[in-house]
Amino acid sequence: MSWAIEVQNLNVWYGDKHIIKNVSFRVPKNVIFAIMGPSGCGKSTLLRAMNRLLDLNPHARVEGQVKINGINIYGDNVDVTWVRRQFGMVFQIPNPFPHLSIYENVALGPKLNGLVKDKSQLDELVKQALQKAYLWDEVKNDLRKPASMLSGGQQQRLCIARALALKPRIILMDEPTANLDPVASSKIEELLLELKEDYTIIIVTHNPQQAARVSDYVAFLYMGELIEIGETSTVFTRPSNILTEKYVLGRMG
Amino acid sequence: MMDSEKIFLLFLIVFVSISLLIVAGIVTSLIINSYPIFLRDGFSFIFKSVWNPVKEDYGILPALLGTLISSAIAISIAMPLAISLAIFSAEIAPTSVRGFINSVSDLMASLPSVIYGLWGLYVLAPILNQYIMTPLHQYLGFIPLFSTKPIPTNLFTAGVLLAIMITPFSSSIIREAYNAIPHHLKEAAYSLGMTRWEVIRTLLGYIKSAILAGAFLALGRAMGETVAVAMVVGNTFTLPRSLFDMGYTISSLIANQFPNAEAYSYMMPALYSGALVLFTIGLIINLAGLYWIRRVVTRG
Ligand SMILES: Nc1ncnc2c1ncn2[C@@H]1O[C@H](COP(=O)(O)OP(=O)(O)OP(=O)(O)O)[C@@H](O)[C@H]1O
Ligand SMILES: [Mg+2]
Repeated sequence: MSWAIEVQNLNVWYGDKHIIKNVSFRVPKNVIFAIMGPSGCGKSTLLRAMNRLLDLNPHARVEGQVKINGINIYGDNVDVTWVRRQFGMVFQIPNPFPHLSIYENVALGPKLNGLVKDKSQLDELVKQALQKAYLWDEVKNDLRKPASMLSGGQQQRLCIARALALKPRIILMDEPTANLDPVASSKIEELLLELKEDYTIIIVTHNPQQAARVSDYVAFLYMGELIEIGETSTVFTRPSNILTEKYVLGRMG
Repeated sequence: MMDSEKIFLLFLIVFVSISLLIVAGIVTSLIINSYPIFLRDGFSFIFKSVWNPVKEDYGILPALLGTLISSAIAISIAMPLAISLAIFSAEIAPTSVRGFINSVSDLMASLPSVIYGLWGLYVLAPILNQYIMTPLHQYLGFIPLFSTKPIPTNLFTAGVLLAIMITPFSSSIIREAYNAIPHHLKEAAYSLGMTRWEVIRTLLGYIKSAILAGAFLALGRAMGETVAVAMVVGNTFTLPRSLFDMGYTISSLIANQFPNAEAYSYMMPALYSGALVLFTIGLIINLAGLYWIRRVVTRG
């Protein structure tokens, strides 16, 4: 079996605080893989270690391997901008560039990395990305307006479109619905189920119900350790660890 | 309300009123004192090039142009410098030297302008003359901008000195704005696989209001700067034909001429009306700067 991503013996420190403790897992292609766990357990840190966004933090230190297509992204001679373009990332706070138009937000990535040859290709790519993010119908007449005029849920779908326009293999999502109302959240969840046809999705959530609703596989992270991992139905019906059981039954913060 | 609060409020009202009164007083006296020349010449004296106390004939066009030219030179040199300095301090420099750079820059912004004037006259002017202006004139003298054979003190030197003086000021505005960019926007940029330079370019777009504010406020300063400019601008009352002409600015004209002004009947009004023109331009430019600052502050 070929994997979308393989994480091997990953350790992360902030200064001398050991945050991610020897975590290993593999994610098959075209699935939704959820990482759940209580606040502060290291979910965001783990996610940022997967596309080397942790490099931005001068206090962060990473050991271990993360492989995509057999290539260790922490290996020598690996171009970090290449690594990041293999992933699309969606954050907890919807963060489109507020000074750029809706169109430019989506077009920026492909323009910079030369994914398109000309304007008409770019237009087409932007349109496709917005369609895939279920946003096209709502914004097709406002493409030149600033992204800041969109609602929170629309902004988050714009961020998803921005990520999709990079034509990534894997989409990383860090609590993408944490700041949205229930209606906007369920729209995003529906969207995820569509997107897994074409992408592998790794979603971080502190909400076990969400993990149960959307994911095929789930990992439970607790204080930086991977406590349990498996098919979502199994983990939620017959958890093998008492901590997992407590967590999925909502008996843990 | 507690007594101490009442007293505090009273103090505030008194001091705010005093400052407002002072501003109003200044504007009033500018208008009253320049009135005679407006009465005699209308607005024509703004667009005339003559300074003849014997005939009581005045026109400030050369000084107005001098102000505009020297500050245009200043701002076009200062902005690229200010942006680079801000980016270097906020994004490139190692944390250990960051504080040092910022302190030096803030210190430079607060130096008395007479120091810049002295340094400009004795150090900067000869260097500019030898290594920049003379070669420019020699090889590109056919371009009208460089057509005058330069001497060290002229509009160009004044512009460069002004650029040096305003760079730290606008740089600190830009730096503050850059440092205030939300971390999640930086993450968004890097997550798209941008290089560091592409990220910087994108984020500069995000703070363009602050950059404009920095430009306008610095321009306001450049136009009003007096002592340093008076020391290097050449103080010659002719219509500038090139950047290398000696010249005047409105503020250096006022500083140089007011000691004689009492002896004539219309020179004082002429200087006052120069001040009024400068005040009006400065007001517009600073309002523009404040407008862009407000855009920075109010954007969600
Ligand atoms: N930049 C940082 N420097 C130092 N420590 C950090 C930094 N960011 C996070 N931490 C710490 O690392 C631990 C894990 O943080 P992380 O953000 O990965 O948790 P999380 O599981 O995503 O939590 P949440 O559900 O609240 O988002 C926390 O204890 C946090 O305080
Ligand atoms: Mg988090």
